[in-house]
Amino acid sequence: MAKISSKNFAEAIYRATAGKSGSELDRMLKRSAQVLQAKRMLGKAENILNALQDIIDKKTGTIRMKVITAKDLASGEIKKLENEVKEKYKAQIVKAEFFKKKELLGGMRIEVRDEVLDATYKKKLLKLEKFLMQEK
Amino acid sequence: MSNHIVENLRKEIEAFQADTKTEKVGKVIEVFDGIAKVSGLSDIKSSEMVTFPNGEVGVVLNLEEDAVGVIILGDFSKIKEGDEVVATGRILEVPVSDNILGRVVNALGKPIDGKGAIKADKTYPIEKVAPGVVTRQAVGEPVATGIKVIDAIIPVGRGQRELIIGDRQTGKTAIVIDSILNQKGQNMICVYVSIGQKDSKLRKLEARLEEGGAMEYTVIVSAGASESAALSYIAPYTGVSIAEYFMDQGKDVLIIYDDLSKHAVAYREISLLLRRPPGREAYPGDVFYLHSRLLERACRRNKKYGGGSITAFPIIETQAGDISAYIPTNVISITDGQIFLETDLFYKGIRPAVNVGSSVSRVGSSAQIKAMKKVAGTLKLDLAQYRELEAFAQFGSDLDESTKRQLERGKRSVEVLKQLQYAPVKTEHQVVILYALVKGYMDDVPVEKIKEFEQGLVDYTEKNAKVFYKEVVEAKMWTDKGETELKKVIEDFKSSFS
Repeated sequence: MAKISSKNFAEAIYRATAGKSGSELDRMLKRSAQVLQAKRMLGKAENILNALQDIIDKKTGTIRMKVITAKDLASGEIKKLENEVKEKYKAQIVKAEFFKKKELLGGMRIEVRDEVLDATYKKKLLKLEKFLMQEK
Repeated sequence: MSNHIVENLRKEIEAFQADTKTEKVGKVIEVFDGIAKVSGLSDIKSSEMVTFPNGEVGVVLNLEEDAVGVIILGDFSKIKEGDEVVATGRILEVPVSDNILGRVVNALGKPIDGKGAIKADKTYPIEKVAPGVVTRQAVGEPVATGIKVIDAIIPVGRGQRELIIGDRQTGKTAIVIDSILNQKGQNMICVYVSIGQKDSKLRKLEARLEEGGAMEYTVIVSAGASESAALSYIAPYTGVSIAEYFMDQGKDVLIIYDDLSKHAVAYREISLLLRRPPGREAYPGDVFYLHSRLLERACRRNKKYGGGSITAFPIIETQAGDISAYIPTNVISITDGQIFLETDLFYKGIRPAVNVGSSVSRVGSSAQIKAMKKVAGTLKLDLAQYRELEAFAQFGSDLDESTKRQLERGKRSVEVLKQLQYAPVKTEHQVVILYALVKGYMDDVPVEKIKEFEQGLVDYTEKNAKVFYKEVVEAKMWTDKGETELKKVIEDFKSSFS
């Protein structure tokens, strides 16, 4: 029999809990945990939860976005950014997290799934450094 | 002066464009022995290049459900868990240009000879599907190695793959160095791929090629013994990509893989670290494909497709002469023949220590010029008969005249085929020497004087048999007029030779 992956388990939990609520949902989740323990997969609980999160996001059309900037963004800028991402990824919901890092100097870095758009000054300076140091 | 520097920098900064684009990024989950497991990178391709934060490059080899297995091509000691890995979207490639000739580069095509950067405006992918059937042409033009025993008995043609196989210290590398040295003026570009060799050996080799003026048309690709297995694994592919660059210009290229045993060992190491299932001798299941896809890229293109060629000399090191081990049998079956070197012959003083009986060129005489074909036609058979008679003659002293004659001729044939290292012999000289041998002119020359006779004969005939030489060089065959002249000149020389 093929090895059970975290993704397989997450998919199974999703199917078992889909459309359920209240005590029924609690019971299903408890059983899922028991099966995990029986199959000695509790160590992979974090991976399974991440995979489950991905499945739910896919089904609900949710996109998670991480924005890192050197200074706080204005609310108008946040709204614009969310709309852009919504349009690009054809998403229903955009859940954004914002972080501040002074060492980025300026600009912003946007992370969506495994895609990164790094438009920070720090990155540009690093590129310039590499360009100037390469042998010509 | 400083103003000038500042001004130059200002111009460069003004011209610099930092384009910002979306990148596919993953995270290092674990790093061990030159291998990194990376999460993310969902759309990555096999053999795609990735970059690590310290500037090192990696290649994706394993595509798994949750992660990808990456081999790190360089220093992996500074890569740590959680580091960001950026996909480049490009299959691993090497820079190529005509400026690479005369240079020593590493497995990534970067110069390591301290002679500065190599200007290259093109890159070639290191993994490429071998040229198809319609683009190819049968092998028909010889590669003159300058080694008598090879050019006469085991001829190699342009586009052929001829394996050089033997134990350690039997002169495998010596054969290829001589072959490279002999390519001067032969319209051949040479690529020497050194896999897992000592740096001192490589330095010596480079110095020898430099001294012989061979670096002008040679590129050395090196993955040294101190470098990671990943670099040893990609080095032959880098070499053949460089060779393909020249072949695409319609040029003939000779590529040497020194050696594919170490290449297989490097691949075994990588495969085991990537947890691929081990097979025979712990090599992975695709070790045959590893070498077949590499050697299949050696070919001779037809005129319509540019007419260039890649001739490959893969080298395999055997253990105690065992050619039935896994890797030797694989490569023997892939190549178009093998030159088998033996320790016993080497210590008997027969150098190059080629075992004529076990060596073969499957392309055969179609890769020989007519003149050579004519003189070398019966040499292999003569030598085989001599070996048989030699064994038989040890048991009895009463031998008939014809047997004695055969034995004497055999001794002289063996002597003639001996050759010093770094002393390749021109094809036309080889023809004259072998002509004298097979026509019996050397039968009454004492065996210990054969070398002296040979040298004298070459010098004398070169001055006095001009018609013969001209015919062999230009028409690749002599006429009756040339032959008559040569016969007379050899007789004259013999009468003066004491």
